[in-house]
Amino acid sequence: MLKIENLHAEIDGKEILKGLSLTVNAGEIHAIMGPNGAGKSTLGYVLGGRPGYEVTAGSITFNGQDLLELEPHQRAAAGVFLGFQYPVEIPGVSNVQFLREALNAQRATREEKPLSGAEFLKLAREEARKLDMDAEMLKRPVNVGFSGGEKKRNEMVQMGIVNPRFAILDETDSGLDIDALRIVGDGINRIMRAPDKAVLLITHYQRLLDYVQPDVVHVLADGRIVRSGGADLAHELEREGYAQVTA
Amino acid sequence: MSLIELPSTREEEWRWADPEAIAAAASLPWSDATENAADWWIDLPGARIVVRDGVVDQAASTLDRVTLRSIEAGDHALGQRATGPGWSLHLDTDAAAHPVQIVHISTGGANHLPSEIVLADDAVAQVVETYVGAGWANRYLRVTLGATARLMRSVRLLQAGGFTSLREDAALGTGASLVTIFLGAGQAGTRIDATIVAGAGAFADYGGALLTAGDQRQECAVAVRHAEPHGSSQQVWRAVAADRSTASLAARVEVARDAQKTDGVQSLRGLLLKRTATVNLKPELEIFADDVKCAHGATVGELDARALFYMQSRGIPHARAQALLTTAFVADALDRIGDNTVRAAFSADAETWLDGAL
Repeated sequence: MLKIENLHAEIDGKEILKGLSLTVNAGEIHAIMGPNGAGKSTLGYVLGGRPGYEVTAGSITFNGQDLLELEPHQRAAAGVFLGFQYPVEIPGVSNVQFLREALNAQRATREEKPLSGAEFLKLAREEARKLDMDAEMLKRPVNVGFSGGEKKRNEMVQMGIVNPRFAILDETDSGLDIDALRIVGDGINRIMRAPDKAVLLITHYQRLLDYVQPDVVHVLADGRIVRSGGADLAHELEREGYAQVTA
Repeated sequence: MSLIELPSTREEEWRWADPEAIAAAASLPWSDATENAADWWIDLPGARIVVRDGVVDQAASTLDRVTLRSIEAGDHALGQRATGPGWSLHLDTDAAAHPVQIVHISTGGANHLPSEIVLADDAVAQVVETYVGAGWANRYLRVTLGATARLMRSVRLLQAGGFTSLREDAALGTGASLVTIFLGAGQAGTRIDATIVAGAGAFADYGGALLTAGDQRQECAVAVRHAEPHGSSQQVWRAVAADRSTASLAARVEVARDAQKTDGVQSLRGLLLKRTATVNLKPELEIFADDVKCAHGATVGELDARALFYMQSRGIPHARAQALLTTAFVADALDRIGDNTVRAAFSADAETWLDGAL
């Protein structure tokens, strides 16, 4: 589904990714772990197409398509979802309006019919209920006044509504208490665990992986994947630390 | 071509004034292709008044409670030119008029029109004005509100060319309420001048959104004077400037020595859609009483790049994301329009402007 080859990327002239290669097949959940500053979030932003993150070499192919050729909104329409480590607050734009715009824009890019207001509300309420989010929060401005945990839950509601094929979840577990972690973990499994979907979980800690079992775990250090393994690798990292494992 | 004589730009209220633009507007050739008032009515009952080149077109208007009479303008540099026959809305105590809609169509050259709104105690009125066409439309308005009278005004400045200048003098009686919201979303130059004098316990909400593009300049110079105690006022202005345009907001709150317990809020914010655009903000507080609450904020910035990317990453194209964020920015000012139908019409005009500017 996703094939990254020899990816080099820089921000403000500083190289962060230094020849990263990674293949994610449909039906797989991959975890990317690594120390601070390794380039984990940069990888997420490069996949999402954030301005300022310049790819200097290498390629990213998504379902046979050159992902780097696409604008960020086209990547979303192609089925890529980027869950943010720090979801952005948007005063004056309600969650409902934002999500309906987003979903219908994606559908328009894919030349599908837009959802009516009623159809959309039904879908949004259903997703909010499944993620234990108060439906009233859908009416509030996007992430404004939300706690850290509520923002992350809102990311999952968004993911449920746009129903992507490939999700990059950047430290979705940060700022979550135990109950919220379970709800978010269940959400990832419910929405994304499917033969035709895949997930890249970017995380610091093992704890989210107790709820979302990864098929493959990678260690990212200094802009490259330095080790890959099964779910056990995450436990080894937790036990021994990055320094030991990447040495 | 002689320039329009205005006070020196060294005087604070005239600092950003643009007499050349007014002179240019006044010399625009007359055009036969005139705007049709029918295109601009908002679906409201009540008076519908068509003003063509500064003259009330009685045949095309339904005056309802509005009368025509001679009105003396004040001594304001622009306002004083609009003196003589004009429109007048007088309501007796406890009266409530249907809304009054006025569409001002300019076809070229200069036109001037005075007007007055006089509400006796407890009277209630709503006035919606729309400016279209091209030329220099210059207006004077005197508002006199009796005790606890309420006036809601909404003004759309949508001229495709030329200049619109509005001067307003308002006097608010005890407990009276004046809400005036402007939307500048045309291509003409604009100047809004106002002095509002609020009596005891009176409330003034005076603000709006000025959206500028191209080489356009729009500005306001507004002062709310609290002359007596327990008054409150809000001045919420939003300026959005694209291309090489300039939007200037000068808003002042004056609190007289006896006007204790005044509560004044001022929020001036500018949004630059291009780095070649300019927004000037000048918030002023002049307070002589010692027991008052006055808050003011003034910021100029660009659209939040993080929010733009967040929206794009969810599938919203860049231009649409910009439009949503800008609409939200402008909504702070337009949401103060109390009538849903009018607010929707103004919001739609703002969206139309955004579609053209982004």
